[in-house]
Amino acid sequence: MSVTDTSRTVKIAADLNRTPAPQHKDVVFDVKDVGVSYDGNLAVREVSLPIYSNEVTAIIGPSGCGKSTFIRVFNRMNDLIPGAKVHGTVLYHGEDLYGKDVDSVEVRKQIGMVFQKPNPFPKSIYDNVAFGPRVLGWRKGLEERVEQALRRAALWDEVKDRLKKNALGLSGGQQQRLCIARALATEPEVILMDEPASALDPIATTRIEDLMHELKRDYTILIVTHNMQQAARVADMTAFFSVDIAPEGDRTGILVEYDETSKIFTQPSDQRTEDYVTGRFG
Amino acid sequence: MRVGFQEELDHLEASIHEEGTLALRSLRGALNALVQQDEELADEVIAFDDEIDSRYLAVEEGIQELLARQTPVASDLRLVLAMLHVNLHLERIGDYCVTIAKLVKLAPPVAPDRMFVDAFEEMGARAEEMIRVALDSFASRDLEQAETLVDLDELIDRANRRFVQQVLSFGRDPKLHEWGLRMIIVSRCFERIGDHAVDIGERTAYLVSGEFREFTDASHPNN
Repeated sequence: MSVTDTSRTVKIAADLNRTPAPQHKDVVFDVKDVGVSYDGNLAVREVSLPIYSNEVTAIIGPSGCGKSTFIRVFNRMNDLIPGAKVHGTVLYHGEDLYGKDVDSVEVRKQIGMVFQKPNPFPKSIYDNVAFGPRVLGWRKGLEERVEQALRRAALWDEVKDRLKKNALGLSGGQQQRLCIARALATEPEVILMDEPASALDPIATTRIEDLMHELKRDYTILIVTHNMQQAARVADMTAFFSVDIAPEGDRTGILVEYDETSKIFTQPSDQRTEDYVTGRFG
Repeated sequence: MRVGFQEELDHLEASIHEEGTLALRSLRGALNALVQQDEELADEVIAFDDEIDSRYLAVEEGIQELLARQTPVASDLRLVLAMLHVNLHLERIGDYCVTIAKLVKLAPPVAPDRMFVDAFEEMGARAEEMIRVALDSFASRDLEQAETLVDLDELIDRANRRFVQQVLSFGRDPKLHEWGLRMIIVSRCFERIGDHAVDIGERTAYLVSGEFREFTDASHPNN
């Protein structure tokens, strides 16, 4: 093909000029000046950021920066901790998540959570997944619902012949995927994951990461991780939190930088982010 | 602080600068072989390229290992990627020196006019200066100094064009014709070495700013 072939060169020019600007989807959560305090001590200070739908958003940062405290804001888990208070506004599809009329149980149905250590109930695999729908009174089509949740959590093929067996007999990685299935069974829109793979071996970790990649087609995922490479692998957006230490010694978590994950790991804007991701922190 | 990782990065960068020093020695050797018509020295330059090549391979292997084991990010990643390119540019500079040395041996033994010797010495000295500026600005992360390579490149380009004009003005002597054709390639080698030095400067700019841009772009001359 000659370079003087105009149709060809025009096409090349068109390809070069195409700017693959990141296209965000809808905003699911709009966080405005959100802080969390325990017994009057500020644990996280004035965070503002949007969380986009059908993306994985990672929250990274050193120990004590308030990552886990912050992610619990999204399903009102801090309500369950005595002395905890959330300031600021969290809009969920434009509605105030902490509004007077909002039922925190309903919130947790919409916004599921998976924890660091797999915590299945000491019941059968089936009953673990069926638990949420039963609590909600969803009796109809329960078997299909359980199967679908297990399939979405990429666990069905491994457990379909032993659904009545105790869930505690599963491996750690399988138990974690069971917990994800349990969260999916109540048809949430958002899944919060607090260090979901930190107790798992590398193969089980890869399965969870692959699963996140699959699940974001249907769900919005927020993940807290201390594993920076995990954030780099799975997240579309990354928020870097750090700790601000006051002269009198009080430690408060702060949001330092929030951006596309690729930007955070190639060209962070803030020196503190640079120092943390390159391992020069501390 | 990742002490081992930082040591590996420092070691790689030191190796790049040693490779640069070897490339400068090769260039000086090629230039002397050319102006003194010294075929023995030309052979030494050709053999010396193994030194540059082995340094090039060692740097590339070091970068491969660093990427596999340390997963550099942010400015560390930019440094590693910049070094990958600079390494290749220095190896290519070494190859141009070999080409010059080979042409010294191939060209008919015509006693060149002093004007041509002066032209080679000018281009050789300019190419040396450009390599030094490229390596120094990379080492000191000096964007401003790296950008001076554009002006230096213009000077070596002009010298190349002048040389070609002089060769074109040769008479009908077939020996002079062959010499002239081969020396146009030599002149072109100096000019290309200058281009590689500019490319190293562009990598310095990328390392410092995080954005890659060509200092001059023939397809977008107004940028």
